[in-house]
Amino acid sequence: MRRLARFLGPLLLAAAAILLPFAVGAYPLAVARTVLVYMALALSWDILVRSGQISFGIAGFFGLGAYASVLADLHASLSPVLSILAAGAAAALVAAFLGLAILRLRATYFSITTLALAEIFRVVIHNGGDFTGGAEGVVLPKPIFGGDSRQLYWLALGAVLLACLCSLVFQKTRLRLALTAIRNDETAAKSNGIHIFKYLMVAFAASSFIQGIVGGIQVQSLGFATPESVFDPNYTLLPLAMALLGGIYSTPGPVLGAMLLGVAAEFLKLKIPYGHLVVYGIIIVLVILFMPRGLFGLARPDRPSAAKARSLLRKGGGEGSSRA
Amino acid sequence: MHSLETRSLERRFGGLAAVNGLSFSLDRGEILGVIGPNGAGKTTLINLVAGLYRPTSGAILFEGRDITGVPAHARARMGIGRTFQLVHPLESLDVLENVMLGFVFCRGLGLRAARKEAEALCETLRLGGLARELSQITMLETKKLEIARALAGGPSVLFLDEVMAGLNSDETRELIELVKDIARSRNIGVGVVEHVMGVIKELTHRVLVLEAGELIAEGPYEEVVKDRRVIEAYLGGAA
Repeated sequence: MRRLARFLGPLLLAAAAILLPFAVGAYPLAVARTVLVYMALALSWDILVRSGQISFGIAGFFGLGAYASVLADLHASLSPVLSILAAGAAAALVAAFLGLAILRLRATYFSITTLALAEIFRVVIHNGGDFTGGAEGVVLPKPIFGGDSRQLYWLALGAVLLACLCSLVFQKTRLRLALTAIRNDETAAKSNGIHIFKYLMVAFAASSFIQGIVGGIQVQSLGFATPESVFDPNYTLLPLAMALLGGIYSTPGPVLGAMLLGVAAEFLKLKIPYGHLVVYGIIIVLVILFMPRGLFGLARPDRPSAAKARSLLRKGGGEGSSRA
Repeated sequence: MHSLETRSLERRFGGLAAVNGLSFSLDRGEILGVIGPNGAGKTTLINLVAGLYRPTSGAILFEGRDITGVPAHARARMGIGRTFQLVHPLESLDVLENVMLGFVFCRGLGLRAARKEAEALCETLRLGGLARELSQITMLETKKLEIARALAGGPSVLFLDEVMAGLNSDETRELIELVKDIARSRNIGVGVVEHVMGVIKELTHRVLVLEAGELIAEGPYEEVVKDRRVIEAYLGGAA
């Protein structure tokens, strides 16, 4: 019975999401589509965060996917749907290759490097000449599905479902134990037989794969790409704020955060242009300070406060060694 | 063939030789004490054996195989277990999940099977039935948890880094019996780093005495404590 209840909520939400295009008009649907794009990115970011690695490179792999999709479409005449898959593959491959170097970095060093990577991707594509379209970008002959707003919405919803599925796989399998152990204490993780680099690589590649797919979907939906539009730092900032607000290390958290912030942003955009960015900044600061597990974490206090447990245990161990 | 053997093991930190030309062996079922003043290189020795440090020179052999270049996680899978002086439980996992790690990542069990095995192991160590949140467990239970996590990996060699530190005498007694039982019933070679001499006396078959990274005495407890160099190392030259 409780099992049923646990599945019922997500199922109802998914059903409502699928049926939404029949209930609302073009404008709300366009807003909802945008929210879904950010939601998928927020979910993908959270997967890597579970290992303790905080990436600021979401826009980088998103943009890489976007360009991979456009270029595969234009130069290799791949069908739009196939080009979206190619976008995911390209982003994952680049992530895996770069991961060989950057996954050796930790904490802020990793974060700053991923931020720089996104900028490097942008500059490379900006200067890619005719092949990438340079600064002017590229325009597709027509958007995917002829630009039909309902089908575009469902396509973005597909990306969210893929991201949810991936997030759940990382939650329900040994991947959760491995990434949590790595986040808590790498020395202990190693001593328990966990191949740290391997699991970081899996998480980084999976997370980048989703970001690439979403980039492909976005560019095929809009029908054009410029370096400035697809590598927009907002594609990093917004998903990050959404996941933090909703609650990291979970699947419902980023979904919840994206819905709240997505709708709030749309409202704020109308009231105060660009004001929504200020609100995002404030939310990130407040959440990190006062609510590190986000809204979903508040609703689910099933883990001891990490700081409390740590201080308790360290105190015990410290006393022992000083007495000896 | 020894279960574990080191040959002229050396580890330098800059100009300091934390471990210097150390050769020793450990067999299955044996309990080996490792003692020495602070800074003698005891923990460095464990870190070298566990693969957290690379030796500057020398070799480490496990069941006859040279494992000097094998990374830490692979050594854990081969059967080299260790606990930490400052306990390292993973605070975002509950007690059972902490113990599951070894079963999953060293022995390749699925989550369900690992959970069963972890429950059984906690039961044998009398860690079972306790509140499952990490913040609620006692010091003795934390120490047992460290041992359980190491045992979950199925070690044939296990190093305990000051597991008795911070325990009262009743708790120490219980843990001594536990360690003896582990060595005997699981046929594990146990290396015990400890400052409390009573523990070393009761627990070990053989003792290594380190000072400034060098092995200054080796033998049964009763012999090494009479060794002049050992007495000097502990009490100073005037003694």
